[in-house]
Parts: sequence; structure tokens; C-alpha cells
Amino acid sequence: MKKMTAILSGLLLAASVLTACGGSKTETAAETGSAESGAVVSAAAEEGVLRIANIADYQTLDVHKTTADYTIPINVFDRLFEIVPTDDGSTTIENSLVEDYTVSEDGLTYDFTLKDGILFSDGTPLKASDVAYTIKRALTHPQTVQTDIYASIEGASELMDGSATELTGLTVTDDTHFTIKLDHPYAGFIGQLATPGAAIMSESITEAAGDDFGQEPSVTIGTGPYMLTEWTRNSQIVLEANPNYWGEQPDARKVIISIVPDPSTMSMMFQNGELDMLDGDEIDSAVFDATYRTSQYEDKIVSANRLATTYLALNEAVEPLDDVRVRKAIQMAIDRQTILDTVYSGAGSIVDGIYARGLIGFTEDNQGWLQYDPEGAKELLAEAGYADGFDLEISSDNSASSSVLLVLQIIQQNLEAVGIHVTIEPYDEASWLDYRKSGEMPSFVATWTADYNDPDNFIYTFFGSEENVVIRSLNYTDTDVINRVAQARTIIDDDERLAEYAALEAKIVKDDAAWVPLFSRSHLFVLGDRVESFTPHWAGYSAYILSSFKLAD
Amino acid sequence: MKYFLKRVIGTIPVLLGVVLLIFVMLRIIPGSPVLMLLGEHYDQATIDRLTAAMGLDRPMIVQFVDYITGALSGDLGISYKYSRPVTDMIMESLPYTIRLAVMAALFAWIMGLVTGVIAAVKKNNIIDRLFMGISLLGVSMPIFMTSLVLQYIFSFKLEILPMTEDGTFLSMILPSIALGWNSAGSIARMTRSSLIEVMQADYIDTARAKGLLRGAVIIKHALKNSLLPVVTMMALQLSSMLSGAVITESVFAIPGIGRLATTAIQNRDMPVLQGTVLFTTVIVIAGNLLADLLYSVLDPRIRKGD
Amino acid sequence: MSSLKRSQDPKLDDELKLQIGERDGIRDKLRKMCRDNHLAALSAIVICLFIAMAILAPVIAPYGEAEQDLINRLQGPSAAHILGTDELGRDVFTRMLYGSRISIAIGILPSLISLIIGVIAGLTAGYFGGAVDYVIMRVADVMLSIPSLLLAMVVMYTLGSSTVNLFVALSMTGWSSVARVVRSQTLSIKQSEYIEAARSIGVGKWRIMIRHILPNCIPSLIVLFTLNVPSAILSESSLSFLGIGIKLPASSWGLIVNQGRQFLFTQPWLCMAPCVAIMIVVLAFNFLGDGLRDVMDPYMQR
Repeated sequence: MKKMTAILSGLLLAASVLTACGGSKTETAAETGSAESGAVVSAAAEEGVLRIANIADYQTLDVHKTTADYTIPINVFDRLFEIVPTDDGSTTIENSLVEDYTVSEDGLTYDFTLKDGILFSDGTPLKASDVAYTIKRALTHPQTVQTDIYASIEGASELMDGSATELTGLTVTDDTHFTIKLDHPYAGFIGQLATPGAAIMSESITEAAGDDFGQEPSVTIGTGPYMLTEWTRNSQIVLEANPNYWGEQPDARKVIISIVPDPSTMSMMFQNGELDMLDGDEIDSAVFDATYRTSQYEDKIVSANRLATTYLALNEAVEPLDDVRVRKAIQMAIDRQTILDTVYSGAGSIVDGIYARGLIGFTEDNQGWLQYDPEGAKELLAEAGYADGFDLEISSDNSASSSVLLVLQIIQQNLEAVGIHVTIEPYDEASWLDYRKSGEMPSFVATWTADYNDPDNFIYTFFGSEENVVIRSLNYTDTDVINRVAQARTIIDDDERLAEYAALEAKIVKDDAAWVPLFSRSHLFVLGDRVESFTPHWAGYSAYILSSFKLAD
Repeated sequence: MKYFLKRVIGTIPVLLGVVLLIFVMLRIIPGSPVLMLLGEHYDQATIDRLTAAMGLDRPMIVQFVDYITGALSGDLGISYKYSRPVTDMIMESLPYTIRLAVMAALFAWIMGLVTGVIAAVKKNNIIDRLFMGISLLGVSMPIFMTSLVLQYIFSFKLEILPMTEDGTFLSMILPSIALGWNSAGSIARMTRSSLIEVMQADYIDTARAKGLLRGAVIIKHALKNSLLPVVTMMALQLSSMLSGAVITESVFAIPGIGRLATTAIQNRDMPVLQGTVLFTTVIVIAGNLLADLLYSVLDPRIRKGD
Repeated sequence: MSSLKRSQDPKLDDELKLQIGERDGIRDKLRKMCRDNHLAALSAIVICLFIAMAILAPVIAPYGEAEQDLINRLQGPSAAHILGTDELGRDVFTRMLYGSRISIAIGILPSLISLIIGVIAGLTAGYFGGAVDYVIMRVADVMLSIPSLLLAMVVMYTLGSSTVNLFVALSMTGWSSVARVVRSQTLSIKQSEYIEAARSIGVGKWRIMIRHILPNCIPSLIVLFTLNVPSAILSESSLSFLGIGIKLPASSWGLIVNQGRQFLFTQPWLCMAPCVAIMIVVLAFNFLGDGLRDVMDPYMQR
């Protein structure tokens, strides 16, 4: 025992000496060390096994109860439709569980036919009544957070407020046919049905599982390419290929998702070959740059376009942000390219409108609406009567990543340079959300990521109703524009609709300066030697489509 | 026995006080947990519905009585974030934390004792300084730095120990060292000073005169004398060890109680935070009771004194 | 608590001490410590240096606190930036100087506050006894039972992350041990003839406590205070690690270490410098505390 302790003390001594020597020396010392010790502790991965990591455990695998944890449901369940990225960076909506569908001329009635012979992973066949069950569950489950997917169906609001027990707009004809009637024409409906939250569940399995659904691997059963086999909380989740899957069998037969709360640990695990893929979002971008944008990993980096816009919101109910010249001055004062280059190593692109690059409705016509021009900003401020500047609070959410804080600090310097004195006021997440919802938050930076591929998803969220402009602390005042945004989703003709969206974008960003678009970041991933290729999620989520991993032989 | 019973009953008001304090503190927070669940997606109707579903619209006193009656029957509520019973979540994480704490305590004791003895024997020479320096490093370095550096050297560079917890004994070594090092410093200092005292005592000379080896005498005395204070110290350090576990569990991805508390803070998952704090406090109180009991067994004078 | 039981009878000793009038001045004790314990004396000097640095930060600092230089970000130590620059090109040495203000304040202020609360609670409990004593000491037990970091986490969760709330969180944990020590000393002194005499000539309760009992506790209080400081500094760094401590743009050593720790293997100076500063200050306070304990309060051996 004494001997062992002596050895341990010796090791600790070595540790402290190595630490004292600093980084570079440790490097060389350790390289020889790893060469000598052939016995790596981490066992080599079995064939067909994919090992990835997530920074936090998932709260639930029941999509009706979450708007964030999609990685597991996206692979265990299917949706009626699927959004698929194409080679040119755009996306298409493809049929998934649906074999075929038709839309009536007035854009109100959708007739769906399900694919034949689809089985849940336990062998239960999928029926149209399961789809109806799923829709009703999403609208009525006490803990549901996914009501907006189906809110446009006729009778949905009556079902939600309890004045009806049936969903009038939904009719099941037989086991493979069902009809949905909308309350009003809504162009984004099929796009909605392709979102992760629209996963289709089995009535019998889900009802039998009760509260265990989404918590117990054995009863959380879907029709997707994978099935859950193990979930050790805060430790790991194991998925295996679903033998009953109707589509092509995935390359990775088994997937182990480890929960690793510390980013440096995760990065070291990847470098040691204990993980097959590293999500760049989990690591500080400067660290990512230094470690992975090197010749060693160059060919291993996958970059995905993220359908997300990072923006600075300005509250028009707060003086002097009610003055359009002041808002324009702020648009001109911020050096967005430098922010992107400094904080995110330039991985992404500047956005001048509301819609993210890659989203339907995105055009390059808006390029140049915003120009970095601090002198012009000063002039505008002087014109507005603020030559001496003013004080502005940017409210920051403590739970946001450190890179967001860096963005805020650069914005602070930028605005300071034109005389606007910015204080970054930190709030913990709940207070921050409360504050923003109250409509009184003066200004903040946030990112909106596409749920479904339609401009409606962006513009409606922020400018679609008088409630929305308040709870996002924008307090945009032009009710005419707000009504037009709400009306735009009912335009059936696609060209006409997209033209309206473009016009609205120009009005809001260019004319009214009611929104300060900053940039869209790319999402970077590094692949390990065992992975040949990987296609990120179309919207750039951290929810990985596991069947898109192709393992090296 | 009577003394012990008295001590047990004495902890009841303390426990009640802990429940009350934590309960009240966690309920005066601004901001709704419902908004946290919804994140970027929210509308008033959904917020109202979820608030009712989570029972947050009831008066606080009703919630408190509910909580106490629930806690007595082992029900610590349902997690906001995970919709699971908090008791289940704690029970799943408990074994990891216990294993970590026990191994860390063992390490602290061995290292503290060995360092203390060596330092005492080689009093004031370079070896004394060196060994005391190492143990002081553990006391003064923030525990997350200790963890990161150990992990970097032994797991990443040398690849001789696992990076994260994987259910094996080997994977618990680094976290235990990181956690135990801190306490080892105090034990080493205590052992050193008490041994120096012992070595100046007459009976060491007597023992040596009897022909016993000096080393054997010292070690025997060191062990004997360190046992009692170490027991006390362990109990007193239990609380700080559980604090430290919060950090080490995060670095080494150990799914223990500390992790539960950390994620509860991040998620603003009040029932889980409340449950973990209560549970760890019960462990600390129980640990102190046990130490008292052991102490009175090892040293009967205590009972008389009280 | 148990450690106190181990010593001989402190009550007896104190009484004896009071009666023979052996009351070494604090100044004499300090002088003795400086003479016999060079480490403690050195620690005191180091601490004074750090405090001076914190106060004079704006004078010493070569750059502005929030001055960014995005072109020269993540630079290694050089003549222009002796400890390099961080990810926004801010001078690490400057940030450390400003950080020391909060870090040292975090060490000292909460310890001071818990000292005051602890003294009031301990005096009241010890002097009045009975139900008052019972309630106060049970509250102290409650505070001592909850692991300090978890209690601080709960406070930060409730009040939100800010520098002021951090002071509150760290003040809540330290007072109970102070209260225990003060209480036991009060109990032992209360019965002495000296206090009896004061009481018999009609000196008021509070006057007795403050003028006659409190001075006897001061040596132990100085020791407790000195030993509380390093634990507060370390707690702050732990809270920063968990992301619930000081918030940017304010900075403390713990926060700088945590911001820099992701760069531990690529730009080690970012977190090593503040980490070493934490270690030095923590050790200095520990050594000083030990030294003070040796000369001031022979009964408080751990």
C-alpha cells in the first residue's frame, strides 16, 4: 500500500512539474509518452458502431414535449414528409411515410395516402388512425409544446380550448387514407409536417406507455431507421438499426451517444479517437480554429449552411430607438464582418435581410442594404438630435455561449465609436426570457433557426401579429405591415407569395430598420478516421441524421 | 446508545430547517420555468396551459405542504425539464457519487498520511518541503484546474487512464485524486504536526531502547494517532467533498448527484435542484452522526464529557 | 466542534488566564509571529502587495480595462503584453489587475460580513442561552449542513448571477462556524468573576458583550477570518466554472481562468497567470492563518 502511494505521489509530482513547464513542452514530452504506451485505455470501437457525444443529456424523447432535443426522435421516428438537402445547398420536400397527396384548388383540402406495409420497430403496423392520434395528441396533451404545427387545421383551436372533443378538419377514410381540411389556406403546411416535431407515433404503443413514453427506451417506439436500446441518464444513449425499417438500412448499425458535459473533455476524447465526430458548436470557435483548422484535420471538416439568422433586436417602444434614423445609424455602426471573422473565424456569411441563406425566399437582392459606415452613422445620429450619443442597454442571457458575449462586446465597442454608450446587462436565462416577453427589453442579440423551410417561419414569428411584435420586444408599430405578414401565408400562388415576402423584408429591414440582421454562421463538424462521410441536417441543427453517416471500411 | 438517539432526534429540526430554507429560497425567484421549457418558441396560451399542468398556479403554502408530505414518503416531485420523478433521478446518480467520495476519501487518507509521515521524519529538509508543497498544491489550486490538468496529462497525453467515467475502476482514479488531493493537504499537515510532537516524546526513545526500529515505531504511532482526527476530519470534509464532486463530476462526465445539481441550475429545474440539495444535506448530516458514533466508540471519554 | 472538545478544558484555561492577568496585546502576538514564523510574515507581505495592486490597478495597468485590439488577439507574452492577450485582444495583465479587485474583495468582504453576522449570532446565543441559543444554533447547523457550494448555487439560482449576489451567496456560508466559536467562548467567559463583577455593578448586557466578552474573542476571530478568505476565493472560481459566478463584462480571476481554460492547451498563459495568482493568494492566506493561529489561539488546533 505504501509503495502504491509512493508511486501515486510520484505521478502527482510529475504532473505538477509538467504543468509548470507549460504547453509546448508538455506536447513533446507527451508525444513520446503516447508512442510508448501502446495500451490505449479506450477500447477500439467495434465495426459498424458510431460514437458521438452530446454536451447535455436529453430531457425527453417525446417530441410533443420539447422544441429542442430532436437528435433521437429524428432518427427513431418518421414524419409524413422529409426535407432533404440537395447538392446546390437548397432543399426539397420529399414524401416520407406519405405515398402521395393532393391539394384542392382553394388550397384548403389535403388528401393523403400512406405508404403500404410500414411497421413500427416492434412490428405494429402503421395506420392512418395513428396519424390522426398523433395530431390530436400534439394539440391536446397537457404538456405539449408543438401545437403550432397543426394549428391551421380546421377546428384545431376549438379542440385546444376544450370547446370540441373532435378535430373537425381531420377525417380518416381507411387504414392508409386520411384527409385534412385547413381553416385557411396555408402555404407552409407541408413544410410544417416535415419538421422534427411532426413525428408520427403509434396510438396503441404510445397510449400503453403513458408517461413512460419518451423516457423508457423500451416503449419509445417509432418507425424510423433506428430504435432505442439503452439510456443511462447523464451518461449514454444507445441506438441500434431497426430491422423492420421500411427504407434503406443505415450504415452505422449501432450508435453510442455519450453525454460529455465539458467541452475540453469532449475535444480531447475526439482527438484520442474515442469519438467519431465532433460538433464544432460545442467548442469555442477560437479553440476550434487553433486545434482543428490545421493541416491534420483540414480534410476532415464538414461545413454546413445553417438556416439561421443572428440578429440584433431594437425595441421601438424605447427612446430613442423609436426614431428610424437612430435605428439606421445602429445598422451602419456595426462592423459585422469583423465580428464574424473575430468570433467565428469567418465561418459563415453576412446577412442583410431576415431570411437565412438557403431558406426558400432567400435572395441576394438584399445584399448591400446594410453597409458598415460609422461616419454616416454619426451624421444620422446628429440629424436625429443625438450628436452626443445616448445610453443603450443590451440585455444578455447568461446561459448563452461565451462567443455570444464576445459578439456583444464588439458591438459595444462599435456603438461606442459612434457615441452610443452601451451597457451589457446580464440576466439569468429565465429572467431574460421573462423580460423579453414583457416587451420591455431595449435590445438583445439572438439567433432564429428555421423549424421548417419557409420564409413564413422567420417573418411571422417576429412580425406576424401584434402579440408577436410585443413578446419579441420589438414593438414594431406599422400595423399595415403586420397584417400583410399575416396575410402572406394564405397566398396560394407561390411566386406571388415569395414576391410579397421579399417586399415585406425590404420594408422592415431597409426602410424601417426595425431589425438589424448580423450574420448566418456555418456549422462545422470534424469527422474521425472511422467516418467516411456525413451530411448535416438541412437546417444546420445539431440534430444529426444518423443514417447519413457512412463509415469507412 | 442513549447519547446517539439524542443526537439523531436533534437533527430533525435541522432537517426541517433545511427543507424550509431551500423551499422558500427557490420559490422567490423571478422568471417562470415554463418559459425556459419553451425557449425561442412561446405564446401566452401555451404558457398558461403548462403553468397549470406543472401546478405552479397554486398558492405557495399548498405547494409546501404537498412537498413535505411527498418528501416524507420519498416523493421529491417531478422534474420540470425531464418530467421524471426526482427521487428516481437521485437514486440513479447516487452510486456514482458515493463511489467517487469513498475513493477520494481513501486517496486523501493514504496520501495525507504518507506525505505527513515523510515530511515529519525529514522535518525541515528538502523532502519535507517538497511533499508538503505537493499537498498544498491540492489545497490551493481550484479543483477544476486540478481535474483538467490531471485529465490532460494522464488521459490525453499519456493515455494511461480513461478520459471520462465508463463504469470501470480505472476511470474513477483521476476524479478521486482530483477530489481527494484537496483533503489530503489538511490531513498531511495534521499528521505532520502531531507526529513531530510524538517524535519528541520520551516513549519513542523508550521504544527505540527496547530495540524497535525507529521507522516501525513512527508508523505505528502515526497510524494510531491519525485515526481519530481523520475520522472527524472525514466527516467534516464530507460536506466540502460533495461540493468538490459537483466540479469533478462535470469534468469527468460522471453522472452523479453533483451533475444533477449543475444541470438543474442550467435548466432552472427547481424540483431537481431542491431534491439534490436536500439529499446531499441529509448525507452530510448522516455522515456527521456516524462520525460522532465512531468517535464515541473509539474514544469513550467523549460520551462522558457530553 | 469535536476539535474543541479534544483540547483540555478551555474554560478553565481562560479563567486562569483572566485571573493572572496574562493578556498579551495583539500587537505583541503579531510581533512574535513575525519573529518566529517567516513564512507567515512573508505571506502577510504578499497579501499586502496584492491588495496594493488591486487598489492601484488603474494606475499600474498598461491598457484600459475593456480595451480591445482585435488584430492582436490571442498573442503570447511579449514586451507589449507581458501576459499576452485574450480572444478579444485585451491585455491579460490588465484584466488580471482589474480582476484582482473583485477577487480580493470577494475574499475579504463576505468573510467580513460572515464575521459580523457570526459574532452577533454567537454572542446572543452564548449570552442569553435557552431558547434563543437553541434557535440560533439550529439555524447555524442548517447552514453548516448544506454543502457550501450547493448553498451558493441555490442562492445564485434564486438571486441571479451578479457580483453583489455573489457576495451574498458567499457570506451566507461562513458565519455559522464563527457563531459557534464565539458562542463557546462567550459561554466560558460569561461565568468568570470578572464578568460577574461587571454585572454586579450594573453594566448593561450589550455593553458587557461588546466591551468585555468580544475583545476576548478577537484572536480567534482574526484566525477564522484569515482562513475564510481563501475558501471564498476558491468558491468564486468554482461558481465561475459552473457559469453562475461573476458575469462579463466584469472580471475576476476565477472568471478569467474559466474563459482561458478552453485555451489551456493552445494558449496556456490565458488561464495559467490568474490561476497562479489565485494559488499564491490562497496559500498566503492559509500560511498567515496558520501563523496567526499558532500565536493567538493555541486552543484552536485543527
